[in-house]
Amino acid sequence: MKFSLDDLVPIFRQFEGPLTSELVRKPGDFGLGQVPVRFKPDATTTTVCGFCSTGCGLKVHLRDGSAVNLSPDTEYPVNLGMACPKGWEALTPLDAPDRGTVPLLSGQPASWHDAMSSFASRLREIQRVHGPESVAVLSTGQIVTEEMCFLGALARIGLGIPNIDSNTRQCMATSHVAYKQSFGFDAPPFTYADFEQSDVLVFIGANPCIAHPILWQRVLRNRRSPEILVVDPRRTETAMAASRHYSIAPKSDLTLLYGLANILISSGWIDREFIAQSVSGFPEFAEFVRAFTTDRVCAATGLDAEALWQFAQLVGDRSKRVSWWWTMGVNQSHESTRTAQAIIALALITGQIGKPGTGANSITGQCNAMGSRLFAHATGLPCNRDYGSPADRAEIASIYGVPAESIPQSGSPAYDQIIDGVKTGRIKALWVIATNSAHSWGTSEDLQRALAGLELLVVQDMYPTTETARLAHIYFPAAGWGEKDGTFINSERRIGLVKKVRRAPGEALSDFNILRLVSEYCGVADQFREWSSPEAVFRIMQRLSKGRPCDITGIAGYAQLDTDGGIQWPYAKDDKPASHHRERRLFGDGHFFHPDGKARILFSSPREPSEPTDAGFPFVLLTGRGSSAQWHTGSRTGKSAILAKMHPSRPYVEIHPEDAHVLGILHGGAVEIVSRRGMATACACVTTIVQPGSVFMPMHDAQVNTLTAPEYDPHSRQPSYKYCAVQVRPV
Amino acid sequence: MSALVGHSSRTLIDQLLDEQRQLTAVEQFAQKHASHDIPAQAKYYRDLIPLSKPGRGEQYAFAVNLDTCTGCKACVSACHSMNGLDEDESWRGVGLLINSDETAWQQTITSACHHCADPACANGCPVLAYEKDETTGIVRHLDDQCIGCQYCSLKCPYDVPKYSNRLGIVRKCDMCQDRLAAGEAPACVQACPNEAIRIDLVETQNVSAEGSVVPGAFRSDYTRPTTMYRSTRAIPKSAMPLQTSSLRLEPAHWPLIVMLVLSQMAVGLHIAHVFVQETGTALGAFAFLNAALLVSVAHLGRPLKAWRAFLGWRRSWMSREIIVFGIYAAMSAALALLPQNRPLSLAVAIIGLAGVLCSAMIYIDTQRPAWRKEITFPRFFGTTFLLGAASCGCVLAWLGSHTAQTLAVITTIIRVWLFMSEMMRHAEAVRSPQLPEHQAALAAATLLPGVTQLRIGLFAAATVFSITAILGTAPLWPTLSLLATLAGCVLERYSFFTACAAPRMPGL
Repeated sequence: MKFSLDDLVPIFRQFEGPLTSELVRKPGDFGLGQVPVRFKPDATTTTVCGFCSTGCGLKVHLRDGSAVNLSPDTEYPVNLGMACPKGWEALTPLDAPDRGTVPLLSGQPASWHDAMSSFASRLREIQRVHGPESVAVLSTGQIVTEEMCFLGALARIGLGIPNIDSNTRQCMATSHVAYKQSFGFDAPPFTYADFEQSDVLVFIGANPCIAHPILWQRVLRNRRSPEILVVDPRRTETAMAASRHYSIAPKSDLTLLYGLANILISSGWIDREFIAQSVSGFPEFAEFVRAFTTDRVCAATGLDAEALWQFAQLVGDRSKRVSWWWTMGVNQSHESTRTAQAIIALALITGQIGKPGTGANSITGQCNAMGSRLFAHATGLPCNRDYGSPADRAEIASIYGVPAESIPQSGSPAYDQIIDGVKTGRIKALWVIATNSAHSWGTSEDLQRALAGLELLVVQDMYPTTETARLAHIYFPAAGWGEKDGTFINSERRIGLVKKVRRAPGEALSDFNILRLVSEYCGVADQFREWSSPEAVFRIMQRLSKGRPCDITGIAGYAQLDTDGGIQWPYAKDDKPASHHRERRLFGDGHFFHPDGKARILFSSPREPSEPTDAGFPFVLLTGRGSSAQWHTGSRTGKSAILAKMHPSRPYVEIHPEDAHVLGILHGGAVEIVSRRGMATACACVTTIVQPGSVFMPMHDAQVNTLTAPEYDPHSRQPSYKYCAVQVRPV
Repeated sequence: MSALVGHSSRTLIDQLLDEQRQLTAVEQFAQKHASHDIPAQAKYYRDLIPLSKPGRGEQYAFAVNLDTCTGCKACVSACHSMNGLDEDESWRGVGLLINSDETAWQQTITSACHHCADPACANGCPVLAYEKDETTGIVRHLDDQCIGCQYCSLKCPYDVPKYSNRLGIVRKCDMCQDRLAAGEAPACVQACPNEAIRIDLVETQNVSAEGSVVPGAFRSDYTRPTTMYRSTRAIPKSAMPLQTSSLRLEPAHWPLIVMLVLSQMAVGLHIAHVFVQETGTALGAFAFLNAALLVSVAHLGRPLKAWRAFLGWRRSWMSREIIVFGIYAAMSAALALLPQNRPLSLAVAIIGLAGVLCSAMIYIDTQRPAWRKEITFPRFFGTTFLLGAASCGCVLAWLGSHTAQTLAVITTIIRVWLFMSEMMRHAEAVRSPQLPEHQAALAAATLLPGVTQLRIGLFAAATVFSITAILGTAPLWPTLSLLATLAGCVLERYSFFTACAAPRMPGL
């Protein structure tokens, strides 16, 4: 037999060994399929994701009760077995090396006792010396509803703090106000199944492919060959995937919507019967929109008449189910409330609401902005009650078991007014919970200076390293999502359960437990004896909801939320089981929550943004979500090495090739972006997805909000982050 | 009173800290699963994988629907999480194509290993740590066979095999082969919310060698990648990867730089030895060669396994280089003992040149434009002759031989010719976008200006030292000439590695 060198080969090749076995996959049981053997679970449980408001169910893989891995939950009615990268990486930020493990007093480790004593005495001292107006709280849409409810009640009723608002002002205040004024209650009418049951879907100022990938998944599950219309100045991923893209001039959306209404009304493409039965304010609206002629709308938006009329025909076709969807492109605008209400008006006059595949639907931002809208005690009392109403105050007082006089008589000022107070020195003490204002608030440079000048800045966060926490006098280490129990409410009003599947590091405590300590140390614990656990507060929340449109008295408790895959409100005790379907929408009976049972059309004339472009600042700066892998200021997503691979490592600005050519800017070259308030440097991305004359920067970069303009919608006081004038120059 | 509050609150703190440490999700809520033979997700991915195993001549291939890939990047995360990869490791990436003409257009591109019909990684691996599975066509990496030489990373034009410092080996996508074997979909296929990634069966023979898989990807005739990108939308002619114009430097591979320069000096000195037959030159060359080989080991992630590097000799220039250098080292040891044996010195010089040829072919075989043979051969052989002459001149000068002056003349001529021709070629490459090495030349010009200036300085200094050495006999000048030349060669090789514009899939 002839010998060949090749005969040796099999002997010298190692197919097995320690390195190979490191990556072996084995059946994981629990319906998981194969899993990496080193993460094989001994139990699983479902929890709801803590990033955005989609509210995906995540199946947590547990070993000895602690999470070792996770995967999207196949059966959860929201996400049907899928998740975006943030959800997949939800556990990673918990392991970050810079987690806060002990309280810090002036940056130095301290005991909880010392930190709390210092907090209580300094807070009380500032209240005594400067009056109650001198203290403010900035909260978040990222904590569980029970914590929001507790925080609101504790701050406003227990501690007498008149100023409390949250970062939901930056994302959902507009939808809240728009719905409340139009429907008589802050009630997003839809269920996610509407994505699948619609014939015409209109997305306005929304890029779900990037911002809500799992909702886009639901769109793609639509088997009715829908027309997908996207209104966005940028040719976003969603615009690319849509059947029609209306690339309108920035901030011409309100004019466009009124123009559409004019065409629909004048062409008779409206539902007169529904209007007569369920809508108030229609004649005034019809009269108002007559001024929005095709010529005027085309001039303002940059669309041609044919495109405009075709748009109107598509949404005016009464044989089709038409649904309207909006997000931050609408909400973060100088006239955002009226824009949202124009969308609502279009759905109302065409009768496209309350039926499958219809609705004027706000896609929420943060995981629990909806919880905040119902239970935060900020501008209103829980469940859309008014501080100004003696009846509402009495009701709350009786539910809480406190004297009616202890309920404040007015709502809190809004975020921007609180920030103004900080800047002018009126507010001396600020308590910030799970938000990073020093990065996320517009004109952030000014704000950082103002925060540094406070007498007392208390920051309660998972990380002592955020831009805001670094400025704090007192830092409370907070347990994060996954380290505590509670509920979130998602975009479609679904209350989902969040579970403790990890131990918090060191002495970090859940926000709930930190609030319990605060109530104890500030001497008001007696008022909050019943508020002893998240589930106890959930029962209080149920009592608060009783008889309101968001009635959830029928929910048996956390266990039912768990087994049912979340439950949409309303879910009242007396309802028949038929109304307890897994996916439900509102207004099927054409009855709205105003006393007359009708929805209201509200409108105002469009206004120019306060900072139009000019010769010195010739570009419009658009901002928005840059990638599906980043969440807001990156306090959490920035901790994941995998997520970091999913977006360009350097800050970038998108600029159209024509503008780049004129300015001598090369793709990949360094540029400066200058507004009247600040300057940023970034790498130029020369791309046709932005219009000539506008540039786009992702909001996750801390420089961006040194540029944005301090302009607010007058009704919702939500900041207009998506329009300011800048100049761009090559470096 | 305050003491009392303090006391009772300390208790509350303790109680809350205790409570915070209790994990109760399992007893309260853990899910009871009877027996799940079929994974729950199967209902979503059932139609995304082939019903049958590949037939004869067929293999599995990724198929991507670009119309529904909208950039959510769940596939990247799922690959990481479902395969238990390292903190920053995922075998899938998502890049972006943008457009610079008037059409408003963009397209995200998800990619992993293309499980090529003719896998360059496998062809280059010196230890046969790659296996193209006979039945599935999956290009599998045998982690325990890998020695961490990273040659596959240079060979793959899609930047797929990634080196792990922790493990000292590369790892890459195996198309979740054991999932496929069990009728489950790969992680990325399971996780795409838009069903944009699926597994199809393709005839391996018929895998296209035309064009490239997407704009900006390497030409397919090199490895014949099997991934299919499908789109109903026209891709604009001017589409380009987002990162095209962001020049970057590749890893320097310092041990390889030192190994190449020293081994080429050894070969040059052995060539000179054929003529001068001095014991000093034979010993010097032997020393340089062993230093080179010793340093080269530092490049390996798992040097103890390196003895099997001969296995890939049929296809891998790396194997061939290692075998040839092995023989060369043995023969040069013999020559060190018998320095005046002329036939042996001739044989050593020839085998040494064969080694340099293998070294050059290692890089030429990667098909990187900046490493094509017109560039690599002159550099590698030029270095050989230049350092051979310079080092021989140095040895002879210390031995007091007048031939040192002749060698200084030869050194100067080679150096000037080599440096001038390289600089002219570089200048032309910077000017000419149509030349394949244009990107690499731009990277060198933009990102390594200091290196080029230093090389010019060293060139001038070495030339001055050489000319001084021509005029006198002091051994100092040839020595300084050698050191400056050596430093110049190291820098030349540094830019060779770093400014090579490695091809990859569209990225971010």
